[in-house]
Amino acid sequence: MSVPDYMQCAEDHQTLLVVVQPVGIVPEESFFRIYKRISAVSQVNVRDSQRVLYIRYRHHYPPENNEWGDFQTHRKVVGLITITECSSAKEWPQTFEKFHLQKEMYGSTLYDSRLFVFGLQGEIAEQPRTDVAFYPSYDECETVEKRIEDFIESLFIVLESKRLDRATDKSGDKIPLLCVPFEKKDFVGLDTDSRHYKKRCQGRMRKHVGDLCLQAGMLQDSLVHYHMAVELLRSVNDFLWLGAALEGLCSASVIYHYPGGTGGKVGSRRAQGGSLSAEAGNRHRPGKDAISILFCALTSNGINADTSAEIGRAKNCLSPEDIIEKYKEAISYYGKYKNAGVIELEACVKAVRVLAMQKRSMEASEFLQNAVYINLRQLSEEEKIQRYSILSELYERIGFHRKSAFFKRIAAMQCAAPSIPEPGWRACYKLLLETLPGYSLSLDPQDFSKGTHRGWAAVQMRLLHELVYASRRMGNPALCVRHLSFLLQTMLDFLSDQEKKDVTQSLESYTAKCPGTMEVITLPDGLKLPPVPFTKLPIVKSVKLLNLPTSLRPHKMKSLLGQNVSTKSPFIYSPIIAHSRGEERNKKIDFQWVQADVCEVQLMVYNPMPFELRVENMGLLTTGVEFESLPAALSLPAESGLYPVTLVGVPQTTGHITVNGYHTSVFGVFSDCLLDNLPGVKTNGCTVEVIPALPRLQISTSLPRSAHTLQPSSGDEISTNVSVQLYNGETQQLIIKLENIGTEPLEKLEVTAKTVNTKEKLYGDFLTWNLEDTLCQFPLKPGKIATFIVNIKVKLDFSCQENLLQDLSDDGISVSGLPLSSPFRQVVKPRVETKPLNPQESSKVGDFSHVKTLEAILNFKYSGGPGHAEGYYRNLALGLHVEVEPSVFFTRISTLPATSTRQCHLLLDVFNSTEHELTISARNNEDLILHAGECQRMAIQVDKFNFESFPESPTDGAQLANAKQLEEERQQARGLEINSKLDIWEASVEGVLNQLVLEHLQLAPLQWGEEANLLKDVCDANPVAGVGTDLMESSVAAACAGQAKSWDRTLISFDAALLLSIAKLS
Amino acid sequence: GSCDLLCSQNYPLYIRSVPTENELKFHYTVHTSLDVVDEKISAMGKALVDQRELYLGLLYPTEDYKVYGYVTNSKVKFVMVVDSSNTALRDNEIRSMFRKLHNSYTDIMCNPFYNPGDRIHSRAFDTMVNSMMMQVC
Repeated sequence: MSVPDYMQCAEDHQTLLVVVQPVGIVPEESFFRIYKRISAVSQVNVRDSQRVLYIRYRHHYPPENNEWGDFQTHRKVVGLITITECSSAKEWPQTFEKFHLQKEMYGSTLYDSRLFVFGLQGEIAEQPRTDVAFYPSYDECETVEKRIEDFIESLFIVLESKRLDRATDKSGDKIPLLCVPFEKKDFVGLDTDSRHYKKRCQGRMRKHVGDLCLQAGMLQDSLVHYHMAVELLRSVNDFLWLGAALEGLCSASVIYHYPGGTGGKVGSRRAQGGSLSAEAGNRHRPGKDAISILFCALTSNGINADTSAEIGRAKNCLSPEDIIEKYKEAISYYGKYKNAGVIELEACVKAVRVLAMQKRSMEASEFLQNAVYINLRQLSEEEKIQRYSILSELYERIGFHRKSAFFKRIAAMQCAAPSIPEPGWRACYKLLLETLPGYSLSLDPQDFSKGTHRGWAAVQMRLLHELVYASRRMGNPALCVRHLSFLLQTMLDFLSDQEKKDVTQSLESYTAKCPGTMEVITLPDGLKLPPVPFTKLPIVKSVKLLNLPTSLRPHKMKSLLGQNVSTKSPFIYSPIIAHSRGEERNKKIDFQWVQADVCEVQLMVYNPMPFELRVENMGLLTTGVEFESLPAALSLPAESGLYPVTLVGVPQTTGHITVNGYHTSVFGVFSDCLLDNLPGVKTNGCTVEVIPALPRLQISTSLPRSAHTLQPSSGDEISTNVSVQLYNGETQQLIIKLENIGTEPLEKLEVTAKTVNTKEKLYGDFLTWNLEDTLCQFPLKPGKIATFIVNIKVKLDFSCQENLLQDLSDDGISVSGLPLSSPFRQVVKPRVETKPLNPQESSKVGDFSHVKTLEAILNFKYSGGPGHAEGYYRNLALGLHVEVEPSVFFTRISTLPATSTRQCHLLLDVFNSTEHELTISARNNEDLILHAGECQRMAIQVDKFNFESFPESPTDGAQLANAKQLEEERQQARGLEINSKLDIWEASVEGVLNQLVLEHLQLAPLQWGEEANLLKDVCDANPVAGVGTDLMESSVAAACAGQAKSWDRTLISFDAALLLSIAKLS
Repeated sequence: GSCDLLCSQNYPLYIRSVPTENELKFHYTVHTSLDVVDEKISAMGKALVDQRELYLGLLYPTEDYKVYGYVTNSKVKFVMVVDSSNTALRDNEIRSMFRKLHNSYTDIMCNPFYNPGDRIHSRAFDTMVNSMMMQVC
């Protein structure tokens, strides 16, 4: 006896063993179809009695096990059913011969046999035979079950006769000694007449009869026989058979107590009777013994030969506790015999099943522990696997899941043991998968996303490694990659640096052949392996949607904005804010993205690996809007700190876009990481509106770009800054090229200018332009360029400083009566030099060389395409930084009466603060050459101001103000005229001077104008004609002969206009 | 020998084994012994919580080792695996060792910086366990 049947259970003791085998060539499928039908007939109510016969069918049974049939009769093959296929009558004799040969294999123990012939028709088939049944085909065999029942009945008859024969065989003094195969030689030459021997024979026979009774459905009788056998065998210390008798007792008691069976085959066993099953359900509970005793007495009315119906027979039945005690005892006896290892093992298994029913796990585990140490002969690998598997199953049954997993894993390892020529990696893998629950490991990475992993990392990692290895050897690289990814993702915290390296290396080598995907892998047995996104490679700490750069940000037109304020609620304000759980994530962002424009999302990532991590094909996962993700590749240094990564993409349609996550490809594994599954990721919201496409404007200017940025207080963000250096009074043209670099036509353009940060007083228009010229080129098709010209005029204060003018006003009194006291030529030293002399003054004034700054922002609001239809525009700001260098100053002004009463002379002290030589031209005057730092007085004859020409004669200050306004208007008109006439760049400046003079010389209002043209070529200098009918005015044109090397401007002109009000001397 | 500390959810809080080269084996041994611990705890029943014995005794003997268990009232389990050949160790010694472990564990729990359920990283505990293992081995 060498092959243990691990599936055995106590109730198998009451079964009759029938072997069903094919003979000749029978298709396996057909055989098992018939086998299944045959084995369905496992219980038969025997005619004329209430007894039930149980049949155990086997399609394979080792004959050496059959040899133990006397020891435990359920091990004896008593019936043989042979299935064969026979197509013609010719083959029939041969087939029948084979059947007989088959019978001989189990010949010694067979009670009866049957042959089922399929396919044979005709004469032979029509002969009625009891031992052979003919069926035309596998489909037409309705009577199989009936045949089997008849067969079982015939078995019963034999069994019953044997039982009666043995049981009544009391009188005969020669009782044969039953023995197990290995005992046979031990008894050679023993005294067969000794009392001891006889008792032994008797005991063994009693035990045998007990077995037969049990098989014949006479439970109570069998109990009595077993008890008697135990007594007899104990007295002669026949331990092996004593064990068997005890086990028989146990089996019978188990059958009695647990009619539902201990094998776990639910529903396979019919209760012995309707009333019995109801009663028996409560039977094994302690305290119900009284009922059970009564019940036993009632039901045990079967035929009993020699065991007269004693009262209290039910006492023979063991209590549930006793069953275990007796099992223990039996097993300890079996243990004395090495050759009975299989019996001992099977007894252990049976006892464990009973204990599992009784929920006595601790004791069951002791039995199992014992079973583990039972050494059978050298087991084949397959048997080892079977043994470990069954141990695992039994441990599972008693609730020891960890232990179960442990043995299952060993079984799995055994499947692929190196000693096996063809390792069963598939089986190994399957078994390993079954161990997962025992190690509280699931293959769903979602289960690991909740906080830190808590479990038996070392053991779990080992198991995952084994899964990886098994799946690789199975030849399923996709599976292997999936498991390895899982290992890396979930056990990252427990891997040592070296292990991290090893795992990633092997992962890379596997993915080279089969890249990891995001698809669910479904195993043949239906288990689904969810994808494993690498959310920890790299770890993402925050996700931030970025606004478009300032110049590309869309703005809503004001008029439409009012309509857009959605009327979600009829209330203007409500304190009730709808709070939702996912608010953090779903909160909307207050900026918009634009269709067809590149949009950015910034992630802060962290590489937890001890080596450089290459992340390829990293892009965004979005919903809501068609989005063209532009993947990025990055390489993160080992254990980097937080590292910003910008992922970009282009929305192709409009609507609300939600950034759900990102995808990566790391070590050849493609991952889709959803933000919902990432714990602790900070976001500023993931949903943003995408508005229709807008054109894109790029501007380039004729001026150099400037590094100088405007002060942030300006409020606008400037995309481009240009700078220019101009002399006070100079005019320059700024040519701006507008290029539509987008894909939509540029339809609308609005230009506004804002002067910022001016401490300086500015006269006239700083920036002027004519938009019509540009707009006539619109709409601007993509790729087309339009030009836009802006005139920059810098007209700052030409006056020198206030206190100088104060001096002048003192002089002014003298001027009216005294001849000009100051020398015609007077060199005024620069203020810098006077500083030490007059520090108080200089601190107030500042030096002449002081460069003044003007800053302005040109805003280009433009729109076009579908975005325009939706009421959006873009704003592009151009920062303009102008450095104004001082040119000339009028240090003193006074008047002199001229020859004509309608005219007078205006005396101006002009100071050249530049480093260059200047030529000052004034109307009707010869050019005045001023050297650098030189101050000269020049006289201009001007017409007197006709005061009466004003519509309202001024008598008070208000009228004076009116006059001033008028003058300014005139001045502007004049400037425009000059511009058109001379086509020169002009910068008009009205000085503070005029006001001061106006204040001082209230009685003599006079308007004075000067235009100075600074020309390289002095000959070109045309005195600018001041036009004024009722004003006395004159122009001074100053031309500068560029002598300095740095003087590269060909034409610079400035027009300095001064206003003087000269009162009529009346 | 090996000394393990497991929390009530049955994941390890502390594992120390000597010699270290065969650590995985101890992991398996302790892991499977939990079945027995669970069984013993559930067998004790709830009624007896107050007066029940914390020491679980020998969990199961294997060929090479003896596995002992101990469970605190908060269901923190202590498992000790000792060499089978070490006959000097009596039940009483094992019991006192467990009590020592329990005291040290209580000290750890008193640390305001320790989160119950976290792995134990305590020098004091390490030295205590070390000295205990030196004594045994």
